[in-house]
Amino acid sequence: MATDEREQVGKIYAPRPYNVIGKSKPRIDGREKATGSGKYCGDLRMPNMLYGKILQSPYAHAKILNIDISEALKIPGVVDVITSKDAPSLKYGLSPARYDENILCIEKVLYVGDKVAAVACVDEETCYKAIKAIKVDYEPLKPVLDYRTAMNDDMPQLHADFPKNINTEIHQKFGDPDEAIKNAYYSSTDVFVGQRTYQCPIEPHSAISSWKEGKLTIWSTTQTVHYFQHYIAREFGLKMGDVRIIRPLVGGGFGGKLEPTGLEYCGAIISKRTGRPVKMFFDRHEMFAHNRGRHQGTYEITTGVDKNGKLLGVKCDFLLDGGAYTSLGIATAYYAGGLLTLTYDFENYEFNLRRMYTNLPACGAQRGHGAPQPKYAFESHLDNVADALGIDKIEIRRVNSRQSDTVTINGFGIQSCHLGECIDKIHEVTDWEKKRKEGLPKNHGLGVATGSFVSGAGYPMYRNDLPQASCMIRVNEDGTAATLYTMSVDIGQGSDTVYCQMAAEAMGYRYENMKIVSGDTETTPHDFGAYSSRQTLMGGWACKRAGEDIKAKILETAGFMMHLPPEDLRCEDGKIYSMSRPKVDSITFEEAARKYFIIKGPLVGTGVYSVPRLGGYFKGAAVATSPAYSFCTQAAEVAVDEETGQVDILHAWDVHDAGQIINPNLMKGQVHGAFTMGLSEAVSEQVLFTDAGKIINPDLANYRVLTAKDMCTFSNYVIDAADDPAGPWGVKEVGEGANNPTLGAIRNAIKDATGVSVSTLPITAEKVWRALREKKEAEASK
Amino acid sequence: MYLPDFDYYAPESVKGVSEMLLEREGSVILSGGTDLMTKMKNGLPVNGMAAPKALISLKNVHRMKKIEYVKGKGVVIGGAATCNDIAYSEILHERYNSVSGAAQSMAANQVRNAGTVAGNIVAAVPSADMPPILIALNAEAKLESAKGERVLPLEEVFAGPGRTVLERGEVLTEVVIPDQAMTGSAYFKYALRKAGALAVVGVAAALQMEGGVIKDIRVAFGAVGPVPMRAPKVEAFLKGKEATEDNLDAAADIARQECKPITDHRASEEYRRDMVGVFTKRAVKKAIAQGHN
Amino acid sequence: MSSMLSEKFLIDNDGIQRFLVTINVNGIDYTRMVKANTVLVNFLRDELDLTGTKRGCEMGDCGSCTVLVDGKPMNSCLMLAVEAEGKQIITIEGVSTSENLDVLQEKFLEYGAIQCGYCSAGMILSAKALLTRNPHPTYEEVQEGISGNICRCTGYVNIIRAILAASGQEVENY
Repeated sequence: MATDEREQVGKIYAPRPYNVIGKSKPRIDGREKATGSGKYCGDLRMPNMLYGKILQSPYAHAKILNIDISEALKIPGVVDVITSKDAPSLKYGLSPARYDENILCIEKVLYVGDKVAAVACVDEETCYKAIKAIKVDYEPLKPVLDYRTAMNDDMPQLHADFPKNINTEIHQKFGDPDEAIKNAYYSSTDVFVGQRTYQCPIEPHSAISSWKEGKLTIWSTTQTVHYFQHYIAREFGLKMGDVRIIRPLVGGGFGGKLEPTGLEYCGAIISKRTGRPVKMFFDRHEMFAHNRGRHQGTYEITTGVDKNGKLLGVKCDFLLDGGAYTSLGIATAYYAGGLLTLTYDFENYEFNLRRMYTNLPACGAQRGHGAPQPKYAFESHLDNVADALGIDKIEIRRVNSRQSDTVTINGFGIQSCHLGECIDKIHEVTDWEKKRKEGLPKNHGLGVATGSFVSGAGYPMYRNDLPQASCMIRVNEDGTAATLYTMSVDIGQGSDTVYCQMAAEAMGYRYENMKIVSGDTETTPHDFGAYSSRQTLMGGWACKRAGEDIKAKILETAGFMMHLPPEDLRCEDGKIYSMSRPKVDSITFEEAARKYFIIKGPLVGTGVYSVPRLGGYFKGAAVATSPAYSFCTQAAEVAVDEETGQVDILHAWDVHDAGQIINPNLMKGQVHGAFTMGLSEAVSEQVLFTDAGKIINPDLANYRVLTAKDMCTFSNYVIDAADDPAGPWGVKEVGEGANNPTLGAIRNAIKDATGVSVSTLPITAEKVWRALREKKEAEASK
Repeated sequence: MYLPDFDYYAPESVKGVSEMLLEREGSVILSGGTDLMTKMKNGLPVNGMAAPKALISLKNVHRMKKIEYVKGKGVVIGGAATCNDIAYSEILHERYNSVSGAAQSMAANQVRNAGTVAGNIVAAVPSADMPPILIALNAEAKLESAKGERVLPLEEVFAGPGRTVLERGEVLTEVVIPDQAMTGSAYFKYALRKAGALAVVGVAAALQMEGGVIKDIRVAFGAVGPVPMRAPKVEAFLKGKEATEDNLDAAADIARQECKPITDHRASEEYRRDMVGVFTKRAVKKAIAQGHN
Repeated sequence: MSSMLSEKFLIDNDGIQRFLVTINVNGIDYTRMVKANTVLVNFLRDELDLTGTKRGCEMGDCGSCTVLVDGKPMNSCLMLAVEAEGKQIITIEGVSTSENLDVLQEKFLEYGAIQCGYCSAGMILSAKALLTRNPHPTYEEVQEGISGNICRCTGYVNIIRAILAASGQEVENY
């Protein structure tokens, strides 16, 4: 900084813009990714390493009568084959109340893809031969394939402790929704149906396990090293400290890499038996079979409104297909209704849900977790209500919009909410008024929806009293670099980059001199990892506090060096100067850091963040609590070919209240990615099953993730507000809330273009075509 | 995913390839590999065999890669010309841009740089994009073997899904689009994604206009029958008629009746039928309005 | 190795052919013994330790394994190593050969076109081939040029912006 600027600051004590945050710094891992030098788990090779594979069940529901591994063991290059007899039988899962999964199936397989046996060989190719050579005798059983009839009496029960195949049942009631709806000016019910989708990260799952001298090290494609450490230690009866989980670069997760896959467990068992590191991997088909994608469900919504469209009472009745195991499904179930109270303020609410077990792959957490499909149903319903009342689609959202410093009917405290401004802005940037008055070209439509999401789950997945996040920063001996240590996991969303920005800001240091070690349980301090959009806020507090710890130490040393009280000193952008005496020569961060090391030893700062107690006292009150909530609006303009039903997305807009933006480039990239995933789910993606429960389209040719040609141009807008005291510098999440409105916005745009409502996802061309034809026929018969 | 083991040979002439095919039981031709490799990785049968024992590569048969115009014969496309060779061919841009467009509509860039026209034909996938437009343009396929050669109208090459009339030892070396009186041609691919997707329906039309009247027309469908098929009833109806909206609508209805689609996970039979009608009309209109462009 | 030798390959005791192939990768000739069923992506990763080329779907659908073969982008998961004999292969490791990045790589960093990075190698190589063929592409031509590369993170928006910027066009950054 130039001296004159500093003098000015010294004189007027003006509030200053940030030096490091709020700027589009290049990704800290960008160069290694752009040059191909970065290593993902599948790129790693250990000396003497074996390769392994899991044999997946070909049946949706069957008894395992016998497994004969003798032929497999005869194949040259096959080193080991294991079955359930060789694995711990302790059941695992993510929700302690529902541990229902075994490392390898013991008596029964419960879906096509369930884990039956595992092999380890000298190379990958031999694994495929070995898997084929394992002979399994199955007794096929009647499968439960339709979640809507899964509780019928004639259906087999999949898990002994869960009668009628009900995995989770929720009944929550706040106020008196029945009375409110009964007395409302207008009430209506709509039913919408969502499909199963799959996260489809481009990097397939893999894990390298190495068991040596009672200690287990696993390199894994994971979103959370902490939970892996916890669950893997528990399964093998090891101390947490004897299990080390390391995250190499991760090629996307979207919720699909949140839980152990079996690759880690089986690799660990074989490593212990053979004394060699074992790399286990899924190919694309196996990823699809393992799945854990988004739950499909049926969503019935009833509301009563006054004549302005103000919501008086809301009733939700949801039914989810959970697949064969619980996975993250309990959280999904509570999120499904819990999050619906965020964007719109209403006082009477009932939420009923059942999550069913079926003989299909387990469903888990996919970007936005339980929220996108219920939100799609709600936003679609709201447009129907507006149509019925003749109210403008933006107006009905404005009337119901949440305000700052309010508490939702189900107990979530919201300190900062700029949804109203997001609604105003989307009105402006879409040219809504003009388009409504003058009309759009024929077969064009404009749709809008709102969104919101937690900035980190208020409670961890299993009960524990650990703080949510912690961080350590070590400044190099000569002060020319600082390394940030955190157990947080960068899966591509850019947490490593924004952590370094936040730390540098708090330290008064430069981003360019930051380095980071993350996602390693042995070298980094605790953090729960990448899920529920928690890292920027929660890990951000830890970074900020660790940075401030460093800064305090630097200023104390600088005070000693400059013969001035530390309170009089400022440290910014690596320069330390006096506030009161601008003529005193400044010194550098490096000089102070070096001095500190000489006098006191390593310059280390630490920070920790715990969430205060949040939420109400009813059953399930904990899920969807969060320190802060993001808010947003999205709109999309579409053109529909009335002959084919094909939907062309012309342009989309997003307006976001994500608090203080740390890195605008990364933030907007999150919005683009979330929107595109939502768009793809809205019009294209669906995991399809045969009537034997086998996936029809376990590949990227037939599971149609949208390509660059399908994606529209996009406009981002950010509400300039950083007033949520719950976040460091007022930050809030962006990664998941940004697909909260997408499905609804797209549906509403298609409805606007065609006048027909397709009430099942995905809204394919054929469905639109059919609805248009039915409309034409109905008109003709009048 | 791994390919099973197989023997591999790369002879330097068509004759060499043919002899290898005849000599070696269970051998198949490896051209671009985009269809063969995925089938083999998925463990799907190839030419009725569980897994080919030998792949005979066309890599060294250089004469099969050319696209040229031969006076008196027409445009000659070597069997091993890739889809992008066709998409970027200046000869085709000038004469039959509709063929370039069909090639351009296939899969995605990387696959188009590998996949060949002969491969697209002999894989006999019902939804293949090259056959309809080539059939509409009355193209012929030249089949060569060590024993001799024969030339067939392209539409006669197909025998069923995944099956052709090629005999063991025969190589599809050339596709020839003969010089013709047709004044325009067009191909519409309708797919569920704008790249990397198979056709749900494909409709091609080639026609000769004379003073507002359709003097001659050939229409071909893809993805709506076991093999790429001609639409003789549509052709007969439109021949000698003016291209009025009513006539085109009537032709579209005939097309809906004439195609033989099935229901699969991409689309239902009834949707495909209706789309064949929609795109028959669009293809005819485009061929009238834009010539071969 | 047994002694059953032909001109081009050896047959091992297991009856499977082994080929001695020489493939030029990033300007260097590499000679290795491979089985016929070795696909190019595995050759690059396992034999040459060039792990920048990724395996995403192994079926030619995602484009993660894209390499340039004689300048053209192709899926290395669908190409046999024996078929690549005599060809010039460029992988992501060969895009910049010094400390300086290629302009595409620079713009990918500058415009936030990289998130998880797993598609980036293939994406950059597709873009490289596009700009070589068409130095000033339109927005639509860029969409077409990378439509064989699936990205699950970015929604393609920043990738397209980066490629347009790399072609010398003015693109406002955030």
